Amino acid sequence: MPPVKIMSKYADYTSASDEELVGGAKKGDMGAFEELVARHRDKIYARAFSMMRNEDEAVDLSQEAWVKSWQRLEQFQGESSFGTWVTRIVINLCLDQLRRRKRHRTESIEEMDEESGGVERQMPVVTVNPTERLERGELRKKIEGAMDKLSHEHRTVLVLHEFEEMEYKEIARTMECSIGTVMSRLFYARRKMAALLADLKTETKS
Amino acid sequence: MNQELQLKLQAYLDGELPDGEAAEARELIARDGEAQALVAELANTSAALAGHEAEVKLPETREFYWSKIQREIARQEAPVAVPEPVDSWAGWAWRRWLPVSGVAAALCAAVLLMVLSGNSPAQLAEAELRSDEMGAYTYSDQQEKMTIVWFYDRGNDSQFTPAPAVANIHRE
Repeated sequence: MPPVKIMSKYADYTSASDEELVGGAKKGDMGAFEELVARHRDKIYARAFSMMRNEDEAVDLSQEAWVKSWQRLEQFQGESSFGTWVTRIVINLCLDQLRRRKRHRTESIEEMDEESGGVERQMPVVTVNPTERLERGELRKKIEGAMDKLSHEHRTVLVLHEFEEMEYKEIARTMECSIGTVMSRLFYARRKMAALLADLKTETKS
Repeated sequence: MNQELQLKLQAYLDGELPDGEAAEARELIARDGEAQALVAELANTSAALAGHEAEVKLPETREFYWSKIQREIARQEAPVAVPEPVDSWAGWAWRRWLPVSGVAAALCAAVLLMVLSGNSPAQLAEAELRSDEMGAYTYSDQQEKMTIVWFYDRGNDSQFTPAPAVANIHRE
């Protein structure tokens, strides 16, 4: 008896492009949409995690983003890549969650100092390049540790500018604040990161 | 160096300055050591972040993750169940009677008129409508073999509509 070739249930979609899958999903093809989810789920989850710093919340928000993207598929016209479009949805969901959380918590004195600004101007300039003599994996780990030390607002502006490569005005629109606030927060976040990476690098050398 | 200048140097680094201001920033960096050092620090930080974001993997299997999404989509797309209307005599009568408190009052007035006039229900003939501004409702009870017609004043907003409305109760 010849061996039976078992077709993966995913075989029909894995060779299709994102555009083809989006076209199918718009017609109600759940299989096509599932393939899109499978392709981009890590990226969407990673973006949610970078903002929320909590696994469970990031999973929930990323799933909510997928549900919303299914509901709003007709609005996607290909101005950006599909992955970028869903990333924008999850970013907005994360920001909504952070705003809700902020309404119910008291800011620490350190956070108030950060918000009021001025602290970053007193930090000494870091002259050492943090990428020197640090292996890629080690640097990633150090960056993650430093990101944890930032407030949500400063981490968000850093994520949107450095990782999502958004311009100031787009960040301002996304975060519902002024361009001046974006610039101040970004400046503080960068200077704080420089100081943290320099300290970590010093610890590594010693 | 004041904050405005520092933010301008950052904007220059990020390509966010218009051409004129960008030229001024370039000149400042060329002649000012403090400005040079600040821009270098900001640039080094951006370079360290670029391409070094942590690779985070979703901590769930494909099937499990998808099943929750699929379930939520199905839940949100499920048609909302509309309760079937109660088609009993009591429900019909309740729907008829509830919004028409004025009509109920008119009926009471009609029954009162009947009693006062000394006529039994069986002896009542059809009554003439006295006003063009009056409306009428009809209620038939097959079980009791009775039809009630009562009239109300369309222009009167008060709950109680006094006679001269005359009710017609016809018994079969």
